[in-house]
Amino acid sequence: MLFFSYFKDLVGREVTVELKNDLAIRGTLHSVDQYLNIKLENTRVVDQDKYPHMLSVRNCFIRGSVVRYVQLPPEGVDIEILHDATRREARGG
Amino acid sequence: MGLGVRSFSKSGEVVLDTENGEELMHVQPSVDIVFNNFPPYSNGTLYISTKQVIWVSDVDKSKGYAVDFVSISLHAVSTDPEAYPLPCIYTQIDSEMDEDDSDDSECNVIHDLSKIREMRLIPSDPTQLDTLFEVFCECAELNPEPNDEEEEEEHDWVFNTDQTENEEPEEEGYVSQNPTNSLGQSNGNHDLARTVLELEINDKRFEDAENNGDGSHH
Repeated sequence: MLFFSYFKDLVGREVTVELKNDLAIRGTLHSVDQYLNIKLENTRVVDQDKYPHMLSVRNCFIRGSVVRYVQLPPEGVDIEILHDATRREARGG
Repeated sequence: MGLGVRSFSKSGEVVLDTENGEELMHVQPSVDIVFNNFPPYSNGTLYISTKQVIWVSDVDKSKGYAVDFVSISLHAVSTDPEAYPLPCIYTQIDSEMDEDDSDDSECNVIHDLSKIREMRLIPSDPTQLDTLFEVFCECAELNPEPNDEEEEEEHDWVFNTDQTENEEPEEEGYVSQNPTNSLGQSNGNHDLARTVLELEINDKRFEDAENNGDGSHH
């Protein structure tokens, strides 16, 4: 649940979601659920030459299982809190 | 990941697997369907169940298509005329036959349903798009990966079982929990190392996926 909690904290921020099919979508994180399904708003495709038809979708639901990486805003990463949470998670909660 | 788009032809009658809890969530009349960049099939009825999306032609009731929610990688509301001339629900389809790169795009008909990677649903009433989007979201969340729970058991030092034991998800998140814990404690380093190890394992898995993905663009 570490990532779930962590992503919930990033709601409202701009993230880039990179899918396993190489599509990268940038948008405002609207919500995330326990399966790490991700809802983005005001989305745009990063590589627009490759995926022109995806140019602009208003809102977008991405299945958690197809996400490869989520690129975070640097200011959204509090390393100290992450260390702490990771350690607690490793101990089993 | 599932089977992708499949043909649906049960004499036009939508039969749900109610014994396994499948329920009809939404019916949308007057919907056109588009696969990849093929011409649209017009005038159908869209049935959204807790497991799948089914489109049946109103003209020829024996013609229809179904796709499971586990095969739908993403869905979105598309209203930009440059992306597609008509407002629609845009979906990307993932299927188990991903290795095959060739496509039918030079023909005007679909020969192989497993090669369908995109599906657009165009309701004649565009004000229904947001409703459809929300129904899709709701149903997608009802269909997580079938093997999620096994993974949780195998790697329970990454995914703990809080979520499955307590029905309510934790609302406060990790921030409020024990914020006084300081960094650099001896046992902390050990645990951190294990976490790093897990991240590396994950990376390898993703690398494989990436290689497959690259292959599909040539």
